[in-house]
Amino acid sequence: MTEFFAAVVAGVVVFLAGFLGLSGPLGPQAACVIGYLAALLVFLAVVGGAKAMRTYAMGVEPEEKHGWTRYFSFDVDHKVVGIQYTAAAVIIFLVGGVLALVMRLELARHGLQFLTPEQYVTVMSLHGITMVVVALIATAGGLGNFIVPLQIGARDMAFPRLNALSFWLLPPAVILLLASPFLGGLDFGWTAYAPLSTQGTTIGKQLFILAFVTAGFSSIFGGVNFIATVLTMRAPGMGWARVPIFTWSIIATAIIQVMGTSVVAASLIMVTFDRVLHTTFFTADLGGNVLLYQHLFWYYSHPAVYIMILPAFGAILEILPVYARKPLFAYSLVAGALMTITALSFIVWAHHMFTSGMWMLLKLPFMINTELISIPTGVVFLSVMGTLWKAKLRLDSPLLWALAMVANFLIGGLTGIPLADAPTDLHLHDTWFIVAHFHFTIMGGAVFGFFAGFHHWFPKMTGRRLHESLAKLQCGLMFVGFNAVFIPLFWLGNHGMRRHVADFPAWMDPVQTFASFAALIVGASVIVFAWNVYSSLRGGAAAGDNPWEALTLEWQAASPPPHGNFKTPPVAAGHPYDYGVPS
Amino acid sequence: MKNRYAVVIIAALSALISWGLYAIFTSFPTMPQAASAQAAHVDAAWTGLLVVEGVIYAVVMAFLIYCVVAFRAAKRTEQGEKFDRSRGRFVEVGWIAGSVVLTLALAALGAHELRAIVGDAQADIDIEVRSSQFSWEFYYPKYKTFGAKLYMEKGKRHRLILTSSDVIHAFWVPEFRIKQDAVPGKAIPLIITPTKLGEYLLLCNQLCGRDHYDMQAIVEVLEHAEFEENMKAEF
Repeated sequence: MTEFFAAVVAGVVVFLAGFLGLSGPLGPQAACVIGYLAALLVFLAVVGGAKAMRTYAMGVEPEEKHGWTRYFSFDVDHKVVGIQYTAAAVIIFLVGGVLALVMRLELARHGLQFLTPEQYVTVMSLHGITMVVVALIATAGGLGNFIVPLQIGARDMAFPRLNALSFWLLPPAVILLLASPFLGGLDFGWTAYAPLSTQGTTIGKQLFILAFVTAGFSSIFGGVNFIATVLTMRAPGMGWARVPIFTWSIIATAIIQVMGTSVVAASLIMVTFDRVLHTTFFTADLGGNVLLYQHLFWYYSHPAVYIMILPAFGAILEILPVYARKPLFAYSLVAGALMTITALSFIVWAHHMFTSGMWMLLKLPFMINTELISIPTGVVFLSVMGTLWKAKLRLDSPLLWALAMVANFLIGGLTGIPLADAPTDLHLHDTWFIVAHFHFTIMGGAVFGFFAGFHHWFPKMTGRRLHESLAKLQCGLMFVGFNAVFIPLFWLGNHGMRRHVADFPAWMDPVQTFASFAALIVGASVIVFAWNVYSSLRGGAAAGDNPWEALTLEWQAASPPPHGNFKTPPVAAGHPYDYGVPS
Repeated sequence: MKNRYAVVIIAALSALISWGLYAIFTSFPTMPQAASAQAAHVDAAWTGLLVVEGVIYAVVMAFLIYCVVAFRAAKRTEQGEKFDRSRGRFVEVGWIAGSVVLTLALAALGAHELRAIVGDAQADIDIEVRSSQFSWEFYYPKYKTFGAKLYMEKGKRHRLILTSSDVIHAFWVPEFRIKQDAVPGKAIPLIITPTKLGEYLLLCNQLCGRDHYDMQAIVEVLEHAEFEENMKAEF
């Protein structure tokens, strides 16, 4: 706790000292970059990185910490890191959600209400990037860190210190993002397309880029760690045919994190060079290429949506057999499908660029590659449907969340096809159709999938049960509210509603007002969630080790698991989904 | 509920959902009016996808609803049935084969319509579309005239040559359907054949900064004579 506050103060002081000292000779852009890099190193050192390196060099085991203050420290226990990630995701989700409500208020009717166009673009950009961070870290970082080592019967992650580092890179990134509106704001969305991002001298833009790169390193470290952990630390008996499907999804995710993130970091560092060192990577007049940015950006940022959705697939596929009381249908096929999506995700990026002016003949292969992804995604649906068939469903809250996720993602997936299809995308690109589509996949899919996993594993993580009735109420409110907000947006998009704009023709008013009211229902559902978590943490019923009668290894540990996880090292004795009676 | 009627019930439910979607899509048209030759091809591709996807949606939702209603556990001690491996394999292979065929068919339809939209490079009228933060300017090389309003001639193939002097903008008239970015350092052609007289709104469709929301221009599609007259008047 003290380390945390000391680190924040030290970081801010170093940043200000560097910024104020250097902006005279070097100019504010360079001063901001150098000041931030120094501040980041100081922050990480003070928060616990220096101590972790010292104890590592001296061969001392990391100490076991107790009490709630350890969540503010550089703790290397994967369960602490998992809870840090989960809590961070929920807090950032609340921030991004408030920004969404601000936008919906502004958009309740045509004309400008209470935001200037500049403020609207800043709010929209921040909503975008904060929610991207949430979707990237909630399930993969939060639930993944907590559950995957337990699920494979390991004591911890392969590189516990690296794990703590990957979490502690996030707070500086979030602080930068939240500071950017006060330092000139953003006007380039979350995609920071060049040359809009290389122009303009506000510090806010530069902070956004630095935050993006910092979060990218966090993601790479996390990915490396997951791959090493699952490859080397599985319990005896856990061959690849017995690896739980959630762990499979995390492997797939980790591969994308490692392979893709460095490319987007490179593109943003090139933007920084253009801004600070006046290189001309993206300046057309001076020999640069504007489209290069988009190619590099989407090479990562399309696979990034699979970093968001694959863990959600893994979570709901993990949940379904437990509550259906029968084996996961097509287990090996769906594990292969997750890996196939991972492979395909790297050859589809230019479907974001059908209208960009890239070489015309590239449209065809990218269109076909993208549509091929619907085949492995269809396998996920096959697995869901096959698992539900002749099941004995226990309609507990995690299953409801999983079913809601499937219903949402069905719409999200199907509306992706007209966007992959080049002729229709020429009309739909950059309209609200695409806004509705990705909210159905990321909010309806990834966030609902996170909530499914959260409700499933909360007893394991905390030792307490959530209130079942509140959980179901939240699920119902969020499902109804979310669909009511976003289904009309498809229609508006087709009829001419552009992305990124604060104003629209007056005839759209009834639909927009409706969506704004529906957004309040989503907001109410989040309040129910917050209350449920708070009251359950304080006075929820004790969970017991295995409240859902599940077979995967994490349920053999105590709830919450002690340091080192298992009293005796577990053995994977059978298939993880061996539920049900022979037919 | 007896499982032997499952197929009938799911089929009936699918039909009901499909009919509901059909009713919604016909009472709230999914696209604005089509005012260009290219729009017809976009709409053909769109309608094809809408029909196929509507049916897929209906069948999957019907299946899920049936499962949730029919397979609820009465007691928590009840267990589901393990499936027969060989039948499971049969379903898996059939599903994948079906989705491969469907995906390739949709991709073929898309490729066909894309070819029709792109067409050949021949055009009757060239217009230079110059964009900058946050306005449009149109230059007609043949008449050596320019203005802030885009005039087009009904039934003629126009080649719009899009350029930008600062950041990326995009040309989009919803009634014409197709859109194209204007990229600094490039002159990108866009072929459009307007088919309906009238005024339309041109919207910048690529986030270009603070006043992006307000970067609009009027497009007017005219008969040949009026078009010529306008060109002279502007000159």
